[in-house]
Amino acid sequence: MSICGLVVHAKPGLVGSVQASMEAMKGVEVHQATGDGRLVVTVDNPDEYEAGDILNSFRDIKGVLSTSLVYAHFEEDYVEGEHAS
Amino acid sequence: MSITRRDFIKTQAAMAAAVAAGTTLSGVKNADAAGEDDIRWDKGVCRFCGTGCGVLVGTKDGRVVATQGDPDAPVNKGLNCIKGYFLSKIMYGKDRLTKPLLRKRGGVFDKEGQFEEVSWDEAFDVMAEKWKAALKAKGPTSVGMFGSGQWTIWEGYAASKFIKAGLRSNNLDPNARHCMASAVVAFMRHFGIDEPMGCYDDLEHADAFVLWGANMAEMHPILWSRMTDTRLTKPGCEVHVLSTYEHRCFELSDNSMVFTPQTDLAILNYIANYIIQNDAYNKDFVEKHVTFNKAATDIGYGLRPDHPLQKAAANPDVGKFDPISFEEYAQLVSEYTLEKAAQMSGVPADKLERLAKVYADPNKKVASYWTMGFNQHTRGVWVNGLLYNVHLLMGKISEPGNSPFSLTGQPSACGTAREVGTFAHRLPADLVVMNEKHRAFAEKVWNLPEGTIAEKPGFHAVLQHRMLKDGKLNAYWVQCTNNMQAAPNMNEEGYPGYRNPDNFITVSDPYPTVTALAADLILPTAMWMEKEGAYGNAERRTQFWRQQVDAPGEAKSDIWQVVEFSKRFKVEEVWPEELLAKKPEHRGKTLYDVLYRNGQVDKFPAEDVTDNVGNVYNNSESKDFGFYLQKGLFEEYRLFNSAAGIPKKGHEMASFETYHNARGLRWPVIDNKETLWRFREGYDPHVEAGSGVQFYGKPDKRAAIIFAPFEPAAESPDAEYDLWLCTGRVLEHWHSGSMTRRVPELYRAYPDAQVFMHPEDAKQRGLKRGQVVKVQTRRGEVETRVETRGRNKPPQGLVFMPWFDAGQLVNKLTLDATDPLSKETDFKKCACRVLKG
Repeated sequence: MSICGLVVHAKPGLVGSVQASMEAMKGVEVHQATGDGRLVVTVDNPDEYEAGDILNSFRDIKGVLSTSLVYAHFEEDYVEGEHAS
Repeated sequence: MSITRRDFIKTQAAMAAAVAAGTTLSGVKNADAAGEDDIRWDKGVCRFCGTGCGVLVGTKDGRVVATQGDPDAPVNKGLNCIKGYFLSKIMYGKDRLTKPLLRKRGGVFDKEGQFEEVSWDEAFDVMAEKWKAALKAKGPTSVGMFGSGQWTIWEGYAASKFIKAGLRSNNLDPNARHCMASAVVAFMRHFGIDEPMGCYDDLEHADAFVLWGANMAEMHPILWSRMTDTRLTKPGCEVHVLSTYEHRCFELSDNSMVFTPQTDLAILNYIANYIIQNDAYNKDFVEKHVTFNKAATDIGYGLRPDHPLQKAAANPDVGKFDPISFEEYAQLVSEYTLEKAAQMSGVPADKLERLAKVYADPNKKVASYWTMGFNQHTRGVWVNGLLYNVHLLMGKISEPGNSPFSLTGQPSACGTAREVGTFAHRLPADLVVMNEKHRAFAEKVWNLPEGTIAEKPGFHAVLQHRMLKDGKLNAYWVQCTNNMQAAPNMNEEGYPGYRNPDNFITVSDPYPTVTALAADLILPTAMWMEKEGAYGNAERRTQFWRQQVDAPGEAKSDIWQVVEFSKRFKVEEVWPEELLAKKPEHRGKTLYDVLYRNGQVDKFPAEDVTDNVGNVYNNSESKDFGFYLQKGLFEEYRLFNSAAGIPKKGHEMASFETYHNARGLRWPVIDNKETLWRFREGYDPHVEAGSGVQFYGKPDKRAAIIFAPFEPAAESPDAEYDLWLCTGRVLEHWHSGSMTRRVPELYRAYPDAQVFMHPEDAKQRGLKRGQVVKVQTRRGEVETRVETRGRNKPPQGLVFMPWFDAGQLVNKLTLDATDPLSKETDFKKCACRVLKG
């Protein structure tokens, strides 16, 4: 299970459509869009694989210039003893 | 996870993102549930590329559970790239190695046996026996080590001391040879001192950016986002992108240029010619601060001496350059007209001219960036140098925004490979083994007898594989790198070298990589936050971190392995009597005593490593050795770059403690103050007052402009192999994928390599997107699938294939041609053909 905070930089002019594309994804919330095209985004997806795929897919959205991760949390990802090879 | 805790974490994530975006959130609940947060946070450095982003590392119950872009880190200002998401996961792959593994049959070592778990004692016993046998039979040149630009600073330093001083072999080379050796040699030729003069602050100061063979959008995303900011906010700012295929940087580009491989040499000479023809060069700067020179030409391709191309060269491996006049230089570049450059490169003339004008405009500040496109080039030193020529003609250097800047791919290619000097010819702080005074200085610092360090450079990366294959290098240790996968021509050189029955190969790694599985002994390694570490990034910034968690099972850090292994050697076993006679006090000691218990490295007692809020951190090495090993090694290393009487000034660093309390500092650090722009008065304290600019790495304090012509690639497409093959990376995977391919999300995002091809080229061969194909060269064959869309768009006549995929080893195909001066392989150019699978 993972929760992430990100900053997505969109081409000014395409901010609206980028925001709409993102919000259509499972667990994605856009908290704010700044005047210069920066979106404050969280991804909270119970399926860890899906969450990872979502992050990777952001840059395929038309108008996304860069995607930066700010915060990543994985509390229940691993179970005891997983280190053993 | 409870709902409230979940909300709390999400709020924290959103708030951190808002801060990094320079905004605040309204309407979110204040994260006042601090009592719930039992995560310990401490500063660290990203494990991946050479950007050197600051990361806050969150630990709970002995595990790293969270990471955050460090808002106080000047490099990344709170941001990380997407790979940062996976940072905490790279340590927890399911196939993490936790015990030494030795090939055995019938209970004893057997080169053809299967890997079996053994104790550290047994592992080191067998290894020491093999190393001693090689030393006895053939001497120091039969042993060697392959290290890494991912080693921490002290790991590289400890290994260099062990191999070069202890075992008296110069056969130590880092994987950084594959990534920035060409940049290093060019720095030394043009400036007499290594590493960029500018810094990342240029990303905000420049008016124009030019990318020469650097896919920053995918490989250095944080620097790319800083550049994007400047491009979108500064009026008139423009971005020029040059590459041999279209990639993601083209999306922001104002002037996109896809050129025929190798013709960057012609384009750069054209720009120099344009500047001179238009009388735009900075006469005052040229008069006072540069010299003009001409390189020896027809220098071969760094292949084996019996290779026909090597035999045909007039001056194989000759790096000489001779002084010429400005007029002679002007005459030499005059051949490279706009028409000629356009015709050779395939780039439309108006685009080339637009690029030349940006450099020639005295009122535009230009920052140029390059990575592997320049460095992995059989004329890599030349092409680095030709760009310096352009910046030097204009005086556009060593000041905010005017910056020729060599980016690096590894987190400590600069800090460890270059500054510590883990190359086959180097010693710390730009000293070299060929120089008698440098050797004498190192021997003095290390309290070793005169003559300990060998004068002849050792085997460089590509030569190591050739010497393994030829049976001349017999005891070999690889740490912190996946070189079987990374090195060129593995079918003909690398693999036969490792499996040569005369050789004993040890590989230290956290994971069973292609390289580890080709070895005889695998040693399990502690990684990243499982040890106290230090990296040096591309802008000369040295950054430290504390050990956050313990390594799993019996895994040990690389530094522990080297220092512990040194206990197995008595000085008498590795040094001749005449050497010992000069320092009889070393008699009867082990290399451990002589190298690491010398009163310097063991000077600092083990202590509780504590941060400024009182958290206490483990230090596994202090526990095992009984002294603060990292601190002792770093402080001894500082004697090379900061003590009085050092042979080469300009590398000064701060004390060990200072770095633990700073977000990194850019050397030279004088009186605890870092240096942002070197060689310019007012920024660099080494420059004498009134001189304006001094390139003090050179005796005459002048930078060298060195003319070099276009010379063709080692192998170009022909009737039989009709396409250029270019290899490289993709965003999702870092280098050979030994870490990132173990993260399920990244594996799923980009599971297998593909060959990127122009749709027309595919059509002509009757290939459809997604179809299985064979990519063949004169050296081997790989099966893969065709991609005609997607992020990389090659022009007709060129295909691109990433090298992260251990299931599709693209280095079976590549040619081990190197730059003859830097010995760095050209992974970007060879001839291939693509057939139906």
